[in-house]
Amino acid sequence: MIKETRITLKNIGKINPESIDDYIAVGGYQGLKKALTMEPFSVIDEMLEAGLRGRGGAGFSTGMKQKFTSKSCQECPQRYVVVNADEGEPGTFKDRVIMEQDPHLYLEGTIIAAYSIQATKGYIYLRGEYHDSILKTRKAIESAYERGFLGKNILGSGFDFDVEIRLGAGSYLCGEELTMLESLEGKRGNPRIKPPFPAEKGVFGAPTLVNNVETLANVPLIAKNGKEWYRQFGTERSAGTKIFTVSGQVNKPGHYEVEMGITLRQLINDLCGGMQDGKPFKAALLGGAAGTFVDQSMLDERMTYDNLTEKGATLGSGAVIVMAEKDSIYEVLHSCLRFFKHESCGKCVPCRVGTTQMVRDLIKLKNGVNDKKSLIEKLVKDSKMIASTSLCPLGQSPILPMESAARFFTDELVKEH
Amino acid sequence: MSKLINLTIDNQKIQAPEGANLLQVAKDNGIEIPHLCYHKKLTPTGACRLCVVKVEGMRGMVASCAIKAEEGMDVTAFDDELEEARKYLLDYLLSEHNEQYDGNYYDEFRDLKLRYGLDNPENRKFPSIWKELNYPVDDTSPVLRYDASKCIKCFRCIKACDEVQGKNVLSFAQRGITSYIIGGYDHWKESECDGCGECIQLCPTGAIVEKPHAKQINVENGIEKVRTTCPYCGVGCQLELWVQNGKIVRSNGVEDVSPNYGRLCVKGRFGYEYNQHKDRLTTPLIKKNGKFEEASWDEALDLIARKFKEIKEKHGPTALAGYSSAKTTNEDNYLFSKLVRIAFGSNNVDYCTRLCHASTVTAMLRSLGDGAGSNSIEDYENSDCMLFTGNNIIETHPVTATFVKTGKRKGGRIIIMDPKWTPLVKYADIWLQPKLGTDVALLNGMIRTIIHENLIDKDFIEKRVDGGMKSFKALSELTEQYTPDYVEKITGVPGELMQEAARIYAKAQKPLIATGMGFSQQVTGTHNVFSLINMCLITGQIGKEGAGLNPPRGQNNVQGASDVGASPFTYPGYIPVTDDENRQRVAKIWGVPYESLDGEKGLSTVEIMQAAYDGKVKGLYIMGENPMVTDPNLNHTLEAIKKLEFVVVQDIFHTETTPYADVILPAAGFAEKNGTVVNSDRRVLRMHPAVNPPGQARQDWEIITEVARRMDSSIGEYNDESEIWEELRKAAPIFTGINYKRLEEHGIQWPCPDENHPGTATLFLDKFNTPNGLGVLHPVHYAEQSEKANADFPFLLNSGRILYQYHSSTMSRRNDSLNEFANQAYVLMHEEDARKHQFMEGDKVKITSKRGELQTVIKVSNHVLRGELFMPFHYSEAPVNNLTRDELDPYSRIAPFKLSAVRVEKVR
Ligand SMILES: Cc1cc2nc3c(=O)[nH]c(=O)nc-3n(C[C@H](O)[C@H](O)[C@H](O)COP(=O)(O)O)c2cc1C
Ligand code: SF4
Ligand code: SF4
Ligand code: SF4
Ligand code: FES
Repeated sequence: MIKETRITLKNIGKINPESIDDYIAVGGYQGLKKALTMEPFSVIDEMLEAGLRGRGGAGFSTGMKQKFTSKSCQECPQRYVVVNADEGEPGTFKDRVIMEQDPHLYLEGTIIAAYSIQATKGYIYLRGEYHDSILKTRKAIESAYERGFLGKNILGSGFDFDVEIRLGAGSYLCGEELTMLESLEGKRGNPRIKPPFPAEKGVFGAPTLVNNVETLANVPLIAKNGKEWYRQFGTERSAGTKIFTVSGQVNKPGHYEVEMGITLRQLINDLCGGMQDGKPFKAALLGGAAGTFVDQSMLDERMTYDNLTEKGATLGSGAVIVMAEKDSIYEVLHSCLRFFKHESCGKCVPCRVGTTQMVRDLIKLKNGVNDKKSLIEKLVKDSKMIASTSLCPLGQSPILPMESAARFFTDELVKEH
Repeated sequence: MSKLINLTIDNQKIQAPEGANLLQVAKDNGIEIPHLCYHKKLTPTGACRLCVVKVEGMRGMVASCAIKAEEGMDVTAFDDELEEARKYLLDYLLSEHNEQYDGNYYDEFRDLKLRYGLDNPENRKFPSIWKELNYPVDDTSPVLRYDASKCIKCFRCIKACDEVQGKNVLSFAQRGITSYIIGGYDHWKESECDGCGECIQLCPTGAIVEKPHAKQINVENGIEKVRTTCPYCGVGCQLELWVQNGKIVRSNGVEDVSPNYGRLCVKGRFGYEYNQHKDRLTTPLIKKNGKFEEASWDEALDLIARKFKEIKEKHGPTALAGYSSAKTTNEDNYLFSKLVRIAFGSNNVDYCTRLCHASTVTAMLRSLGDGAGSNSIEDYENSDCMLFTGNNIIETHPVTATFVKTGKRKGGRIIIMDPKWTPLVKYADIWLQPKLGTDVALLNGMIRTIIHENLIDKDFIEKRVDGGMKSFKALSELTEQYTPDYVEKITGVPGELMQEAARIYAKAQKPLIATGMGFSQQVTGTHNVFSLINMCLITGQIGKEGAGLNPPRGQNNVQGASDVGASPFTYPGYIPVTDDENRQRVAKIWGVPYESLDGEKGLSTVEIMQAAYDGKVKGLYIMGENPMVTDPNLNHTLEAIKKLEFVVVQDIFHTETTPYADVILPAAGFAEKNGTVVNSDRRVLRMHPAVNPPGQARQDWEIITEVARRMDSSIGEYNDESEIWEELRKAAPIFTGINYKRLEEHGIQWPCPDENHPGTATLFLDKFNTPNGLGVLHPVHYAEQSEKANADFPFLLNSGRILYQYHSSTMSRRNDSLNEFANQAYVLMHEEDARKHQFMEGDKVKITSKRGELQTVIKVSNHVLRGELFMPFHYSEAPVNNLTRDELDPYSRIAPFKLSAVRVEKVR
């Protein structure tokens, strides 16, 4: 039996999220205190060597990102930290759990990250519908200012840092980092051309570190306990833990923090109480709409960034939607593609028109065409073309559910209806 | 110049400047990578994706418009995979697109469709779905129409409006496939769009098109394109007129050439219609028994010659005078002044410059030795401090303003000195709002601040100012009394704000000053500019690249008319009429006896009218001017013109002045003219004829030479305009190096001493043009205005221009498009004044000054100060100049259009 390993969720349900004293009582802000005694670059090295990777979905090394950001544009007068709290991936609610129940944890992580790259200003880009997260974060910021964890000369270290909440307006794409920067500058939510990356030219043209809430929640733990402590969790290349948010046909859906590298079978059976009513497992969608379908052949694969990628699947945001025998792959695929069509900003041709044309073809698949198999092949080909030519990663997403559905479930898609 | 690097594209070895846009590099080397959203005037967008290429070492396909050329880059621009991707993209794009094509526009998308064989439906993979998408059409704008079904969402219009014109009017509504462009929040008409048409010019598909002539134009069928210079303001924008069946049907900005680099304003793009208006004069008219009758040219010219000769014989040469014109070419003006000097025999030639910038020019001539702008229009783009004094640049020089806005975006600061709000205030860092007529006090205050905070440039003063630190001391002593408190009391400007402005200006690296009519058209106009120059000189903010003082010119050839000698004081090239040596030199060029050229200064514009009133001037030849609207104190002007024995008006329309003519001569309009003009930054620019003059209308210069010939006084025989220019450049040394051939591609800024000289972008780099080469300080005190508000006339009235109309509006008001934007006279009144005197928006009112009255309607607006009013001067039904004074600035003879005490009464 695998058990949860709660490190970022350690305080959940145990402290009053509105009380900074509660947080301090369980060791809060010690990571910050320790970091402030270190050189900024040593903090970065610590993160780098701890092996922390971005939990927003892409799994990029956090220490590397910090390094790039702190080194770029030495003459720039200001640097920024942007917290990606826009949690928009369907089926994902891990950041919400942290923000609602332990907001100081990721706030502390934000301050440490800011110190490491010597940023003086931060924005928390928070999903507008997350009312409770907004309230709790607001309160946390207030208390942190009162206690001198934010503002001028933090804890007497000479380091200044201010942070401000900005609310997202319900666009999935604004969770994409470059689009988020546009939005922060008050512009319409269209992505920017990459490069430059945020580390070089982020918000208002200044070097900017963009990190996910869960990523930042790990930072104080590493700062406080050290890289060795952190590396005891997870695998060599995917260190630490990951919060999965499980929904669908399991007995106990919800959020689970586990060490990197557990299998899907362990997650479903050991933590989620198995399949609902003992129904047989048919498929899971890993990583949300921008995720991949897997069938039972993948149940025993270790869920790490690299292993899943190698096997043609994704870890993504940690969303897991579990499907049983009678659930329709077609319907789930259809809703993924509709989602992309709806969320396409419309800036670039392949994604704007391609997602629309894919949805039309998918409807054709249902309403009957002679050669369903070739239609599916065409859909895969179209999604590839969209992925290879689109401007931002949103256009590179439809291929994930499309290709994986075709790979594992072509027979079903052809047969159905 | 940036460093050159080597790269290869499809095995072709290419050299390119480091960091250049890869797509552009390919294009410049003849490799046409398909693209739709990229335009070299705009930042890359990366939306259409057609420009994808493969670059060795980069993953997958990358948009070439979004990367920079680097040393050693190995690029594949064409292979099967890339071409397949492009076809895919075009196919996608076509499926959401309305492909109907009416030949109204060049359609870059259609070209690509044909190039990839996608006009054949069999080559397409995706069904057309545009009809399901319910794309809207917006045709609410007076000048353009947007059809979303033809829009490929390339962002070019948005960026044209933002990045090029600095107006930020456009954005997308909705997202994804149903997104489309909107002006403002919804409809174009209600947006801040001012109709410049940059978006139209850069739209690749014709989704945005001009409304005028949209139905007639067929780009594949007999369109002739003629490049010329815009007939309106002094920016001198280069236009490309489209002519179809002898009619002008469209006007575009010419890309890549100065001064406008493709940009235009609403007048340049839509204001050509007047040239082909039915009201054009087509035959000579002679007044007989109080009525005008058509006459032959011979009849008219003989009559003119006879009358002018009679007057000259009876009353002497100075009884004749001529109004030359800032709306005609250098060649026309040169010959006109030659006519006055040789055939009339005096220096009584002037034109409207005396009404606008004469004070500026006078002050600049005395202090700096040159009356022209010291810098280039492009310099605003790189300036770190731009000071606008009485200059509504966004409305009066809209294209220069686009460079100003770019400068602002790049971090330049904007300071405005103006009693009235102008649209530039939105972009300003500091707005100093002095009461009317108090500018000298404000500037003296700034000068004192600069001196007290030791922000002067001592080295500059010592080396380049006449009298060095000694002269400076005099200025310093004079300005000492202008403490912030004292200045605040006089001007109403908070002392601290004034000081802050002084600091920003003095500390800047490359500050530019642009001074306008608000500054010059005052009784103290020359003093205003003296104080401005004082500030320039003590801070050393002139005489270096990118810094200086500029009076943007109101009409397309105000600068040129002065340059070529249409002035009572100067010969071609600003050589004083009193300069004997020069008169001798010019007499030789002209082939006339030196003694026949009058060495006495002539009468200036307003003086000519006063002399007419006094019976001293009896005959007047008016070429392309409308003094009955533009002269101050019109009632007086009316009396004067009525007293004249003989008046000739040569124009393209009947004007407010033509009723007082004895003979009216029909002249050629701008689109019919060949020749040159000079813009505000001293750039000599070509005009080319696009169409023929209507009826019997003739070229101004031809008419002038005929008049001279029939007065038995030859002013030369010319086959065409280039021959006039060849003579002119001999007479005016500032033009020596400029010939027509050199002007074919782009204009040249004078002075240009020889044919290899590139022209002069910045004046005064080594020395000023004063006799000893030094700048001269003219310390001046603030003087109270003689005209003051009082119980009878409680308001001070200011007057000026607006974007959509021009001068006396004989041209601009004959364009439906411009009239749709603005066609009604009004007077602006502050909210509180309106409340106090119980005026409401739209109330009809009578405005009265000591000199006259007029009727107009009230617009309530806080764009004026309390106690002050503003009226546009363009509308002849509400002629502001009924109210203004002809009390002149003693130095420059300019009239104070900007300040008249008036009262306002409701009319029922
Ligand atoms: C369409 C799209 C939506 C995204 N939405 C989110 C999101 O809601 N939250 C998030 O943390 N990252 C999101 N990302 C990933 C971010 O772009 C970015 O990789 C992340 O904020 C980096 O933080 P990390 O390194 O801490 O993971 C999204 C990416 C894409 C392409
Ligand atoms: S890929 Fe989609 S979301 Fe991204 S820029 Fe293109 S249209 Fe917009
Ligand atoms: S016409 Fe000019 S101002 Fe109007 S939307 Fe187009 S670019 Fe902007
Ligand atoms: S209107 Fe023209 S320029 Fe604007 S997005 Fe559409 S196609 Fe492009
Ligand atoms: S031209 Fe490069 S993406 Fe459109």
